[in-house]
Amino acid sequence: MDFAATIPAPQVGPESAAGQGLNERSVEPILKTENLWKLYHAGKVEVPALRGVNFSVAPGESVAVMGPSGCGKSSLLYVIGGLAQASRGKVLVDGNDLTEMRDSERTKLRRSKIGFVFQKFNLLPTLTAKGNIAIAQYIHGDGFDPHRFDVVTKMLGLDGRLGHKPSEMSGGEQQRVAIARAIINEPKILLADEPTGNLDTKNSEIVLEMLRQLNKDLGQTVVMITHNPEATVYFDRVVHMRDGVIVDGIPAD
Amino acid sequence: MMGELIFRNLFHRPIRTLIGVIAIAVEVALVVLIVGLTSGLLTETAKRIEGVGADVMLQPPGAGFILGLGSAPMPIKIGEKIKELKYVEAVAPTLLQTNSSGGLEVVYGIDKASFRAVSGGFVFLAGHDFSGPDDILVDDWAAKAKHLKVGDTYNLFNHDWKLAGIVEHGKGSRVFLPIETLQDLTGQRDKTSIFWIRCTRPEHTEDVMAELRALVPGYTVRPIKDLLSTYTSTNIPGLEIFVDAMIALAVAIGLLVIFLTMYTTVIERTRDIGVLKSLGANPPFIVRALLMESALLCLGGIVAGIGLSYGVRAAFLAGFPTLSILITPGWIVRAGLIALVGTIIGASYPAWVASKKDAVEALTFD
Repeated sequence: MDFAATIPAPQVGPESAAGQGLNERSVEPILKTENLWKLYHAGKVEVPALRGVNFSVAPGESVAVMGPSGCGKSSLLYVIGGLAQASRGKVLVDGNDLTEMRDSERTKLRRSKIGFVFQKFNLLPTLTAKGNIAIAQYIHGDGFDPHRFDVVTKMLGLDGRLGHKPSEMSGGEQQRVAIARAIINEPKILLADEPTGNLDTKNSEIVLEMLRQLNKDLGQTVVMITHNPEATVYFDRVVHMRDGVIVDGIPAD
Repeated sequence: MMGELIFRNLFHRPIRTLIGVIAIAVEVALVVLIVGLTSGLLTETAKRIEGVGADVMLQPPGAGFILGLGSAPMPIKIGEKIKELKYVEAVAPTLLQTNSSGGLEVVYGIDKASFRAVSGGFVFLAGHDFSGPDDILVDDWAAKAKHLKVGDTYNLFNHDWKLAGIVEHGKGSRVFLPIETLQDLTGQRDKTSIFWIRCTRPEHTEDVMAELRALVPGYTVRPIKDLLSTYTSTNIPGLEIFVDAMIALAVAIGLLVIFLTMYTTVIERTRDIGVLKSLGANPPFIVRALLMESALLCLGGIVAGIGLSYGVRAAFLAGFPTLSILITPGWIVRAGLIALVGTIIGASYPAWVASKKDAVEALTFD
């Protein structure tokens, strides 16, 4: 599957960034956290999910975040995606500090710069595959772009399944629809929360390969959370988390 | 796209949508029918009174404009004096008696000659005029409702009457008796409840009214031409409040059902709301989507409600032909707007709750 032949790559491409740690680059990070804290409240008790996370992702880089359950991976994803407000510290997305933004501003930023893929696919059950992808374009505000739509759905092998509802599709197909929905508006960052968690081995490989090709061929920045060590080979860099902090950041190979 | 989302959401839970539509339909139909029944009965009654053909009506002091509610009669001899007034062409005394058996109706005891002089006479659809003291006339609607035909015996006020004729409706009452017989039956010999007065020309109505006020001071004198505007729910004590209360009840039913429908919808779609937020949908988008869905549901209910109103009216009129239910475009529009406003109010809180949901909590909702 040659993605580059169908969609022009962004100016900051994988050639300059993929496969390298940020400290080896000269480019500004597309995503950066500084001493990031996220506290949840269980009654009167404060439960820290993130405890001073420092984390950077270069444009066009693919990063896998690994760690045991409850280590704060999902909280990190939600905070850097603007879905949750940080308690302390900074989150810079494409130069914008999310921690200084109001909810409405974070929503706007999320709309234009972030794409999400979830473990449970999270497709709208009442809409067809086409509707699930098109609604992202609609919310984005530019209306339905049939050319972009055709390119993305062909790229993800969805043509022929577009008239089906989620309940009529396999898990792998649903996750490909979710990926199409996430990238249809050309986000700066694609955030994936255990996207293979509900898939069998074959479909997991297909989805991971698609994410890798999005990254390699289109220069799509990807941050993925996973439990699966085998999934990390598809990424430039692996970050390990434990107890709300990043404990290392080593090249995958 | 928004339209597709709303449309598909509505059909995702057809039973729930159907319940919402039915609730709105009942609300609209209740409003239309309650208003239609009150205004229909009043308008139809006023038109029948106008149909008598008089220009002025004279009633005893303090009499209300709803005929048959007051029982204080006046001497029939006054009629002789009225006849002598300038510009008076004809005078017809009528003794009113309310019959509450099998419904509420005001029976007219009339003198056939003078009533003919004022009204221009009945149009007989069957039979003939009074020829005996126990004859009775009914109009076509009453004949249909009571399943009567000429020659039948009809018991009224504990008296057996012989149906002499069926007349075209629209001349005051639906049931007419000889005034003398009714006077005897009710112990009101030489009494009448009302005088219908026909002027030589309609322009002389004011002159005749002035003369009547001078002739019988304190008596109630009313021009017939203003009667239609007087027969409204606002002029009948308590009726408007009753109508308003019924409308409020109907609106409350619709509002509560929509509230519950949309509230359960929001709970069920918690994860979907989280997904929309993850895609960048802002609170106004979510509120708009839910309100538009409610409004579409409401429109379905309004259409069904209009159909239901006409259906119920047809069923009622088949069973009770003397009823009059006036369904007007104005009140259909008003009922629709009332339902729409109620729906928007009912859906507002669930929509607000949805828009305020925490995106992360919504996405992890099971």
